[in-house]
Amino acid sequence: MTDKIARPVSSAPQGKDIARRDDVVPLSSELGRTTIGEGVVTRVAGIAAREVSGVHDLGGGTARAIGSVTQKVGLGDPRTQGVSVETGEKEAAVDLTLVIDYGESIPRIAGAVREQIIKRVEGITGLRVTEVNITVNDLYFPGDDEPDEAPRVA
Amino acid sequence: MTVTTDVNRAPRVSERVALALVAQRAIAEMPGVRATSGPSGRWRTVGSQQIIPGVLAAESGAGRIDVELHLVALWPLQGSFEELAEQLRARLRRAAATAGMGARLGAVAVAFDDVLTDGERT
Repeated sequence: MTDKIARPVSSAPQGKDIARRDDVVPLSSELGRTTIGEGVVTRVAGIAAREVSGVHDLGGGTARAIGSVTQKVGLGDPRTQGVSVETGEKEAAVDLTLVIDYGESIPRIAGAVREQIIKRVEGITGLRVTEVNITVNDLYFPGDDEPDEAPRVA
Repeated sequence: MTVTTDVNRAPRVSERVALALVAQRAIAEMPGVRATSGPSGRWRTVGSQQIIPGVLAAESGAGRIDVELHLVALWPLQGSFEELAEQLRARLRRAAATAGMGARLGAVAVAFDDVLTDGERT
């Protein structure tokens, strides 16, 4: 299930038309240069998404499973799981995979996440968010985290 | 017990290292940010007896010392990254002037390399 935003000025599909930089977003200043790492924009988007009530986790089932393994061996950053950001000089496009609490309205959560990400990323980084593509990958049911039942026989 | 220090006996440091120390203090006194030497530890200034993480100070060749500050921002941020950077530059320029090195301070580059939430701060 994919839910996309279309901002009026930009028609960049999946952010592919965004002028790319390698890994930083530079901001000009007469007194010096300010750079924001692309990983930082990813972090801000992920934190913003988690601020929305009803978002249980970020990342798809496979990504979370692989993520848990890579984290155990010290690889990968769990904090950016499920978030992908493409940044240009002045714009950013965000792709997000969500797990939502069962019973919540998916359109409402997707809209709230989109608003929160745009507010945070634009407010904090100064980048214009051209699109936020949201994939709801799974629903979380209370009890999903509990261990399987004990074996019935010894 | 009173401990006195003879400043004249303190090991001399170059202006480059002294300015890096001033920058380190400016970062420490600024709420909402921390210095970081990065995952490979390469963002630091090394003096004869000091290692100053998160600060790179280098002679610019024009009689000035350019400074590069590498930071972790603490969530929630107290403003935008650019606002934080400008506040830090202003603090550093004031501190450098107070230390008598205002004329030597060149460009101050600020890099935000990570964001930490409450639960991630150790």
